[in-house]
Amino acid sequence: MFYRETGQFKSKYKEELAAFPLAEDKVGIIILLVIAYVFIPIFGIPGLPFEFTMGAIMIPVFIFTITTLGLNILLGFAGQISLGTGAFMGVGAYSCYKIMTIFPDLNIIICVILSGLVTAVVGMIFGLPSLKIKGFYLIVATLAAQFFLEWAFIRVAWLYNYNDSGGIEGTNKEMFGLIVSGPQSDALTRYFIVLTLLVLLTWLASNVIRGRIGRSWMMIRDMDIAAELIGVRPLTAKLSAFAFSSFYIGISGALMVFFWLGAAEVESFDVSHSFTYLFMVIIGGLGSITGSYMGAALVWVIPVLIKEIGKTVFGFDAFIMENFSIIFLGVAIVVILIVEPHGLARLWQITKQKLRLWPFPY
Amino acid sequence: MSEKNSVIMEVKNINLRFGGVIAIQDVSFNIFEGEIRAIIGPNGAGKSSMLNVINGFYHPQEGEVWFNGEKRPSMEPYQIAKTGIARTFQNIALFKGMTTIENVMTGRQLKMNKNFFWQMLRYGPAIDEEVQHRRRCEEIIDFLEINHIRKTPVGSLPYGLQKRVELARALAMDPKILLLDEPMAGMNVEEKQDMSRFIIDVNEEFGTTIALIEHDMAVVMDLADRVVVLDYGKLLADGTPAEVQSNQAVIDAYLGVPH
Repeated sequence: MFYRETGQFKSKYKEELAAFPLAEDKVGIIILLVIAYVFIPIFGIPGLPFEFTMGAIMIPVFIFTITTLGLNILLGFAGQISLGTGAFMGVGAYSCYKIMTIFPDLNIIICVILSGLVTAVVGMIFGLPSLKIKGFYLIVATLAAQFFLEWAFIRVAWLYNYNDSGGIEGTNKEMFGLIVSGPQSDALTRYFIVLTLLVLLTWLASNVIRGRIGRSWMMIRDMDIAAELIGVRPLTAKLSAFAFSSFYIGISGALMVFFWLGAAEVESFDVSHSFTYLFMVIIGGLGSITGSYMGAALVWVIPVLIKEIGKTVFGFDAFIMENFSIIFLGVAIVVILIVEPHGLARLWQITKQKLRLWPFPY
Repeated sequence: MSEKNSVIMEVKNINLRFGGVIAIQDVSFNIFEGEIRAIIGPNGAGKSSMLNVINGFYHPQEGEVWFNGEKRPSMEPYQIAKTGIARTFQNIALFKGMTTIENVMTGRQLKMNKNFFWQMLRYGPAIDEEVQHRRRCEEIIDFLEINHIRKTPVGSLPYGLQKRVELARALAMDPKILLLDEPMAGMNVEEKQDMSRFIIDVNEEFGTTIALIEHDMAVVMDLADRVVVLDYGKLLADGTPAEVQSNQAVIDAYLGVPH
């Protein structure tokens, strides 16, 4: 009843090609932005401690949404599967660390973006097998990338500046007189930076996807032979997808270490993390930007909330809750995939479709 | 149907083999600008292989393809698409995850060239380009009478409409030559009539040269200006529908002769 395109006439193609052609969508996105930028920083999430909200929920969810967006571009839009996501995040983190060591005075945001570019190049190199192989075989090839990069993070001591711990660690970084990263930074500052990057990256991704390049990815995904006969060069399309996707994943890796964890070792980038990101994409919905948000939020928040509730309300041991949350997440994944194999995004799509006709059944 | 006599495409002595299987054997024919050229023949005669040779998906072992008066060097399919050859497929090859309008827009892919930077901002040149091509696509959608399914995902469309969307996508490339691989396979009489009408309209209004493979002889004889008959990879006959119909070798191939 409240959500329908009836009566919303467009007289220019430009209006129809806008990001949110419907007035309801525009209002909705503005409300979401106000909540994210004003409501949560002031009030937090009702019922949860503020530090916990920021450090354990909002910042990681935003960072993992960037990861999921990146993986979704590759998997959902370009149809190329990758299990190297964890390692590519590592490439972003380690390269950001190196860039910060080499240019100590460089603005940290620029460091993060540069590390995204480095990851894009690495992703492109490991995307080369996709030109010849597809499906399961490509999974194996990207798995090789995962193991090779993990090995490099341990064995190439140059990457972590030959320190004894073998990990990388953020130092205090200032921007406009504020400490934005490192042990003394304020959670709220980091929240705003991560949120702003997320909004920007989402906007860029949705633009690319709706344009010529995004269409060339989807053409390769849906029918690669027809795509080639229409004039898409598989080399360009596939490698640009790998590069763009890795750019996002690299940025999220750098953000994870320098805006959330503060320090990281190779374990933060191992293959089990790759699987978690894959879960996020599949549960959220392949080929959907909204789905990337929902998938990352669900897969991250449910275990955290279960742990927190179990600890504070029922007083269970943290270790028990850890296992319980894994069980619960596993069950949730199975149930969601049975109910709606196309992920949460499709459920949302169906809801919107129903709302168009509500209260009438058809 | 103007300028019947300028040759736009010519294949000369094409030989195509897959291992020991000879798919096409020494076939030559030409296509005039603006005509409807039918390629017919029994199953396995090499018709689809011929189209695949023309749009570069197969590379023949011997033979030459002349296009626009020049001998075409060996090219990849995406390069050949650039020269202005579009095709539809025997088994529908639409992009199933995309809507009708998106599918048609993919046909404009080669005509769009704004770089990644503008694409990311979707502002200025990129959006202008998008709007300009969208307009052309809407014209084609209008022309083929598929307005009502503009925003439907093509996977959920009925067969006949999918074929029409595929034709729209090929037309969106503004091709010089349009290759249609069995555009009417599996259609009922009404759908065939519609499709025939669209093919004639495309030919007359856009002046597009059309090469089509079809099994329905009534349709072929009505539509085509000239017909090539292939059988077992060899050229059997070449001429107007009337000539081909009265050719004894063709009748033998289709009806069979006692050995």
